[in-house]
Amino acid sequence: MAILPILEFPDDRLRTVARPVEVVDDQIRAVLDDMLQTMYDAPGIGLAATQVNIHQRLIVIDVSEEKNQPLYLVNPEIVGLQGIEEMDEGCLSVPGIYETVQRADRITIKALGYDGNVFTLDAEELLAVCIQHEIDHLDGKLFVDYLSPLKRNRIKKKLEKQRKQAAS
Amino acid sequence: MATKPQQKMDARFIAIKVLLRVLKNGESLSSAIPNEISNLDERERPLLQALVYGVLRWRWQLESILKKYLKKALKAKDLDINIILMLGVFQLLWLRTPDYAAVDGAVNSSLKIRKKWAKALINAVLRQLIRERDEINYKDTLEAEFSHPQWLIDKIKYDWPEQWQQILSEANQAAPMTLRLDTRQMEVADYNELLNEVELDAEVAAHVPGALILKQPADVSRLPGFEQGLVSVQDAAAQCAAPLLQLAPQQKVLDACAAPGGKSAHILQTEPALELDAVDISESRLQRVAENLQRLGQQANLICADISQPEQWWQGQQYDRILLDAPCSASGVIRRHPDIKSLRRESDIAELVATQQQILDVLWPMLKPGGLMLYATCSIFRVENEQQMQHFLQRMTDAEEIKIAAGWGHEQKVGRQILSGEQQMDGFYYALVRKSI
Repeated sequence: MAILPILEFPDDRLRTVARPVEVVDDQIRAVLDDMLQTMYDAPGIGLAATQVNIHQRLIVIDVSEEKNQPLYLVNPEIVGLQGIEEMDEGCLSVPGIYETVQRADRITIKALGYDGNVFTLDAEELLAVCIQHEIDHLDGKLFVDYLSPLKRNRIKKKLEKQRKQAAS
Repeated sequence: MATKPQQKMDARFIAIKVLLRVLKNGESLSSAIPNEISNLDERERPLLQALVYGVLRWRWQLESILKKYLKKALKAKDLDINIILMLGVFQLLWLRTPDYAAVDGAVNSSLKIRKKWAKALINAVLRQLIRERDEINYKDTLEAEFSHPQWLIDKIKYDWPEQWQQILSEANQAAPMTLRLDTRQMEVADYNELLNEVELDAEVAAHVPGALILKQPADVSRLPGFEQGLVSVQDAAAQCAAPLLQLAPQQKVLDACAAPGGKSAHILQTEPALELDAVDISESRLQRVAENLQRLGQQANLICADISQPEQWWQGQQYDRILLDAPCSASGVIRRHPDIKSLRRESDIAELVATQQQILDVLWPMLKPGGLMLYATCSIFRVENEQQMQHFLQRMTDAEEIKIAAGWGHEQKVGRQILSGEQQMDGFYYALVRKSI
């Protein structure tokens, strides 16, 4: 397993729309393993393949406190949305920024698991928000897109400044 | 996705997590607190205790107050918001926390659990309560007045028509910390002086030899001779067991359902030269028995087994004495474990009664003719106590009751009952039976 480098906003590669996975084989499972390790290391509660510059529809998530309940989603699709939830979100590709985003608070999804078998899952609250956040990544979308252009620009400047400081 | 790094945990926030474990997952307080407390600063622990015990104790009053201020009931998934509100009300009305601190704490908690929408609701409810706090009538139902669930009130009222109000209000008082002195090592009066020297004040229990009731709870590290096994912590009601057993050297004794080992230790303290089998179903709880006995320098055969499956653990040699401290509703120790009021279900009682009966029947053949069995529960329900033992005496033609004469408790048709809080003791039941020769 390996820890992969995470792309950061406003990197254009984060705008790539990921392709569906054809078959869940050992190669895909190896990518999922690396992604999980990268996510735990960051630390984050969800990571989409797009963020590590792999443009296939793969997501890893773990919202448990003990970090022992990994969830693997391959080719996830949202089949049901209900309710409204507001939550402070952050993103490993937008480090150190937390903003309130409105999303559905209960969702039903269909996806393939680590074993390649299809399953459906009802999720609510944090897990529901996290899944929506990660599926956005696969579609080339970031949580900052939900903010006003002014706010988004300010975040962009702030991150550029941070990077400059880190480099010098 | 990433979430905001957790700020340093404060008692108010940990209290929410502990109460969620109890009220949502059905975990007991004694397992929920240790599971959460590691994130908490040592100095904040007393506040955490006050908050979680307080909310579980006064839950029905708190809910009745909140009902008046909430336009509609919260959804089940918003139990966390309900808990935040109860903690807020408890701090405002019971702890006299400064208003701003209680409201701020509650609002911040809602942000930490990422439920920003609840901010306005929490602010509105708590601020209105502050304005009207002198006029609130929160004793408008029996549930609210006595802060017990209705079924429990009904059951206690049915069993104790004279004393039910007293029992319920005692169950809402914090229990004292009571010590058991090893009276072979020291006289009670002398130990009381040792306590005074370390500025601890205690009262000698009137009818339980060796029991001292502390005026204020204290950490065991402050108790003179605790590490050396001179004293142990045990409610006075539980200290009544060993003296009833008429222990003598060389007897073979069984403590069924022994954990956490207080009564086992007391048995060995009373008569060290006997052979004690201490059985419990839980490995982790049996570990506590081992620790307790080790501190006191005592030896017993610790057996982890289901007591009702003797083929798993019994060697076939009958006992001179059997203590059965049976699994029960724990309705007599609600003052120590207020979570019982939320966790226990009415439907549990019949199941417990059946279990008790099963264990009684399994243990009876293991008693030698002429031997004594002491049946004990920390319950105040007649079905688990007096009635259970009446039925037992009817079933077993070779069993006869030995009346317990004591300065504590009330004589029942069979056995003796201590009601919660009487003489500062836990609610307990004892019945002593002898097997005919």
